[in-house]
Amino acid sequence: MSETLSETAPELSATVMDLPRRDARDKLRGRTRYTVDRVRPDMLHAVLLRSNVPAGRIVKLDVEAARNAPGVRAIATGHDAPGLYGIGIADHPLLAIDTVRYHGEPIIAIAAETEAEARAALALVELEIEPLAPVLTMAEALAKNARLVHEGWRDYEVLTEGGAREGNIAWEARTTRGDVDAAFARPDVKIVETTIRVGRQSHAPFEPRTAIGSWENGRAHIETSTQVPWTVRNVTGRVLQLPPGRVRVTVPPVGGGFGLKFDATIEPITALLARMTGRTVVIENTRQEEMATCLCRENAEILIRSAVTADGEIAGREAVVLMDCGAYGGEQIFLSTMTAHTLGGNYRVGAMRLVSRAVYTNTPPNGAFRACNGVYNTFALERHTDEICQALGFDPLAFRKKNVLGDGDLGATGQVFEGDVLGPMLERMDGLRAVTGTAEDKADGRLYGRATTVGTWFVFVGPSAATINMNADGSATLVTSGVEIGSGTMMQSLPQIVAGQLGLTPDQVVVREADTDSAGLDVGVGGGRTTVSIGAASIGAADEVRNKLFGFASELLQTRPEELELVGGRVAIKGRPGSGIAISTVVQHAQTVSGPITGTGSFTGKPVPSMSGCAFGHMIEALEIPVFVVHEAEVAVDPDTGHVEVLAYRVVQDVGRALNRRAIMGQIQGGVVQGLGYALHEAVTISVDGRIREDGFETYRLPLAGDVVPVVADLYEGAPSSGPLGTKGAGEVPILGVAAAIGCAVANATGKQVRELPLTPPRVLGLLKGRETAPEFPHIAASFEANTLA
Amino acid sequence: MDMREGPERIFDSVATVAEAVDARAAGAAVLAGGTWIMRDPRRGVALPERIVALSKIAELQRVDVLDDRVSIGAAVTHAGLAQAINGLAGLEGLAAAATGAANPAIRRVATVGGNLCTLDFAAADLVPALLALDAQVELMVADGGRILPISTFLAERAVLLKTALLTRVIVPRAATASAHVRLPLRKAGDYPVAIVSVARASGGAIRVAVGSVEPVARRWTALEDELSGKAVTPEETQALAEKTNDFMGRDGIEAEGWYRREVLPALVRRAFAALQKGGAA
Amino acid sequence: MTVTFQLNGDRCRFHDDPMTPLLDVLRQEKFLTGAKAVCREGFCGACTVHVDGEPVMSCLKPVGLVSGCSVTTIEGLSSGDQTLHPLQAAFEAADVVQCGMCFPGMVMSLSAFVRDNPEATRPEIKTAMSGNICRCTGYERIIDAVADHLEAQKSGRQAKETAHV
Ligand SMILES: Cc1cc2nc3c(=O)[nH]c(=O)nc-3n(C[C@H](O)[C@H](O)[C@H](O)COP(=O)(O)OP(=O)(O)OC[C@H]3O[C@@H](n4cnc5c(N)ncnc54)[C@H](O)[C@@H]3O)c2cc1C
Ligand code: FES
Ligand code: FES
Repeated sequence: MSETLSETAPELSATVMDLPRRDARDKLRGRTRYTVDRVRPDMLHAVLLRSNVPAGRIVKLDVEAARNAPGVRAIATGHDAPGLYGIGIADHPLLAIDTVRYHGEPIIAIAAETEAEARAALALVELEIEPLAPVLTMAEALAKNARLVHEGWRDYEVLTEGGAREGNIAWEARTTRGDVDAAFARPDVKIVETTIRVGRQSHAPFEPRTAIGSWENGRAHIETSTQVPWTVRNVTGRVLQLPPGRVRVTVPPVGGGFGLKFDATIEPITALLARMTGRTVVIENTRQEEMATCLCRENAEILIRSAVTADGEIAGREAVVLMDCGAYGGEQIFLSTMTAHTLGGNYRVGAMRLVSRAVYTNTPPNGAFRACNGVYNTFALERHTDEICQALGFDPLAFRKKNVLGDGDLGATGQVFEGDVLGPMLERMDGLRAVTGTAEDKADGRLYGRATTVGTWFVFVGPSAATINMNADGSATLVTSGVEIGSGTMMQSLPQIVAGQLGLTPDQVVVREADTDSAGLDVGVGGGRTTVSIGAASIGAADEVRNKLFGFASELLQTRPEELELVGGRVAIKGRPGSGIAISTVVQHAQTVSGPITGTGSFTGKPVPSMSGCAFGHMIEALEIPVFVVHEAEVAVDPDTGHVEVLAYRVVQDVGRALNRRAIMGQIQGGVVQGLGYALHEAVTISVDGRIREDGFETYRLPLAGDVVPVVADLYEGAPSSGPLGTKGAGEVPILGVAAAIGCAVANATGKQVRELPLTPPRVLGLLKGRETAPEFPHIAASFEANTLA
Repeated sequence: MDMREGPERIFDSVATVAEAVDARAAGAAVLAGGTWIMRDPRRGVALPERIVALSKIAELQRVDVLDDRVSIGAAVTHAGLAQAINGLAGLEGLAAAATGAANPAIRRVATVGGNLCTLDFAAADLVPALLALDAQVELMVADGGRILPISTFLAERAVLLKTALLTRVIVPRAATASAHVRLPLRKAGDYPVAIVSVARASGGAIRVAVGSVEPVARRWTALEDELSGKAVTPEETQALAEKTNDFMGRDGIEAEGWYRREVLPALVRRAFAALQKGGAA
Repeated sequence: MTVTFQLNGDRCRFHDDPMTPLLDVLRQEKFLTGAKAVCREGFCGACTVHVDGEPVMSCLKPVGLVSGCSVTTIEGLSSGDQTLHPLQAAFEAADVVQCGMCFPGMVMSLSAFVRDNPEATRPEIKTAMSGNICRCTGYERIIDAVADHLEAQKSGRQAKETAHV
């Protein structure tokens, strides 16, 4: 626990700077070796035989011919790794055993001298699957008498207690605060209902999931492109039925993650094959495999209903959120918790009840994606808010200013918000717009729309550990399990924080590549938590180092430790820069007297508890650090073709404290553009045989340079944060509000209710021509209670 | 170290059309820029065992601009074509097709012949542009050459290309202005979901061709008939296009058939507006 | 079959299937892993290299077609301790890099573009980038850096021209 800084902690100003990244030059020169660049000729290549039906029973699996094929060194089947893994519930085998549950599910893995030989051997496997009628949609999964995706769901080991589950409902999380029935029954309210349907989003990180496994001294060593080395270690241990300590995971620079690499997938297979062959084994997903089995942002169906008075008070709100987890529970089980904080955020609401259900289907499993769950819940909430305004005749901006969460307001789980943040941020957006002006003139005869929306996110802090080793030259080596996934946290923010604490320059802080053997537990890079958790742990480690340095220096300088500070690479006497003694000298001295100077720090957030009786089936108590955004979009809609052009985009983002403005601006531009992709271009659809149809860049349309605009952003500082130096994660949230702002702007431009995403030209033209109707959900019951298992 | 099993692929990089035709007769498939063929494995199609590459045949890389026609070698790239016909009155639509397709690195490599000879590629940009300009293609087989209208070529290419080499495209310079309006889903870099190419001949006759809406591009004769002899505004052409819209849109992952069909009248209006301004789009 | 070509200034021979994508020859045979295999479909540009000075997608280039050509990869653009290409330097200084996977291709594509289009406008830069996808950065800062680089080149040239008068 080290989130309280010691008395002698250096000033914040020592940490704030717009530094370029240390990894940029090698990346620009093509010298950085991502995992995918580390394939050597002496490695075996493994390929996976995948199911070509969405549901079925394996009735025949004969690998003899494949085993004898040229170059083949090993074949692994599900029986070689019988352990099940998962988040919340252990429902997921590494390789399908007896039953296949999605198109693309791996069944066996073949390791051979070359990839071509491995593929040739795949063709020799005799596999017969007796197909079962697939359950492809949540409507089918929730229908009466629906076939169960997991017949044996009752037998699974439950890893986290508390969620209700039954049949195709993998998990249910519920929130109830206040008397919602009474609020809806009030005579002075009008009830507004909105239905929303959103599709999946594929991360498309440029480096596909790739893992290299070897077996060294009786232990597995996996080098992999992951955001979660500790999860990979633990899952590998689980499925191979090894103590997790027998697995070591190291992580080279990661070529993009965005949440996709937040779960173990192919890694344990490489370890298994390495154990079988004694050789190093690589699995590299082809782009087609990567996209066809992408752990996408889940498709979701949402019904939200509010009781609002004529003067704009939101008396009650209830919502049902169905999240498609695909064939296995995975992240969605955890993410069902988030609805309370994303859909339950933004506004002051009298009474509220929310249920979110992770639903099994025979489709590729979904996963985590930047601002998970929040992106579509914010879209739903903001569209619903605009529909309320329309129904009751309120000005949307004024309604928001009146109703956004402020100091002392309650969240859905009874958590109390501190400080007025969203209100002042909305004012700042007005200010920003006054400076930039609007872009209506660029609409050029097309339909013009503008919308301002708000969003609430919470940083899930979780445990992290850090060690700092001081070197004889006065530099520091920072050892953590943090992974550089491209956002710059490990390469930019942490060295900056540590350098600020130790009076060094950031280039004097060496960052050790993540290695589960050398650093302690970390829950992974995502959710905006890295700067917060690893940052706090690093500050803790720096505290210890600083105290040790002061201890030795005070002897050498005959000065009391309280009178010392670390600045300019020296232990100096306070207020007299250049005085004192070089840090390197102190470190060298310490080495001869009592050994090297090191410091360790660890951190975990203190959960703000839910009000009792509010939360059911939530995986975590509450998310510690709220982060708010205000987004504003201006669009032009082509009435002939349905094309939406974004004319201008503005963001006011709550960053707590900006340590490197330029880097945050880069995250905002990148995150907003990913959000534009989600809102406008990136469609994932499932074929009748359960495949993801958009499995390449030809069909999955990522935004191109011509599709984007420069985002104008104002960083809002000073909101309460328990993060180190007052920071909050800045990389996760920029995507949060984009679909909401774009969806509302398109609705304003067209005068049509926008209820589905993405807003591709055919969908928007369909809206304009009356071809699109509001989604109807026969599988969501009219009464709230009928949608819960409780 | 060669780890490959089986017979080696035969790859002939020949210098003359005659040699290429001979190779074809011996069963070689044509490799032009490779931007289509190289994606065959991704589609589950094996690469041909015998290949003849056109990249070293000088004759096929030429564009000859004559008074009455332009002759375009089959191995001319999109970028090369765009450069050669840049500013030529009447060919604005073809130039727009060559500069609007794909992305710069692909245009530097992908050839005219490849665009015309790829079967099952409904969204080819050059095809409707050449249809609107009433182009002809020259095919070579072992016993000689023939020149045929592009529409005939399109109808019969599946059979013809089993043996023939496409050597040239001949574009008559009969048009005074032409325009090519393509509708990608993103601003650029996509296959167009619908294309309207129009050309006006010196006598005023109008030709309209539509690509990407049906499996193979074709002329919009019903609209051409309505337009014949009339002076109409772009808005009026849109109304006529609505009236004569006899296209059956094809369903694809990126767009359903109704959408491709539905956008056509507006694209016609835009094409005619561009034509009024002297072409391109 | 044997294919011979110049690779970053050296003679390079490849004995195997001439339909092997140039990209695979570079990455798997020559261990030049700067060019990335991202889409292998010609859409993303991460595999861009120069063939006879022109940027092309190496994923769709059969090595048989580069016989006799000169190929330059990102490793050859500024090798060893040579200074960065000015565009690389501009990208570094402007802090535009995130995961970095797209940048070798981005640099190869745009270095030729700025060479050939010293007067390019911002919309022209955007159009030129339609075959270079970046999943992380949202592009605009890359475009700023290219525009600034062109501007700097222009004033450098103007300064030189005035000096000569
Ligand atoms: C990223 C990307 C984007 C694209 N976008 C567009 C677009 O917007 N619009 C568009 O129109 N196209 C687009 N294309 C497709 C592209 O235009 C075609 O791939 C290209 O024209 C094919 O030309 P090529 O020279 O590369 O053909 P190749 O791949 O070499 O050959 C294609 C086919 O034609 C045959 N062939 C080639 N030349 C001859 C000849 N002279 N005689 C007989 N047969 C021949 C080959 O045998 C093969 O079957 C795109 C392609 C890519 C990769
Ligand atoms: S990998 Fe070659 S263009 Fe994407
Ligand atoms: S920086 Fe990651 S793809 Fe461009």
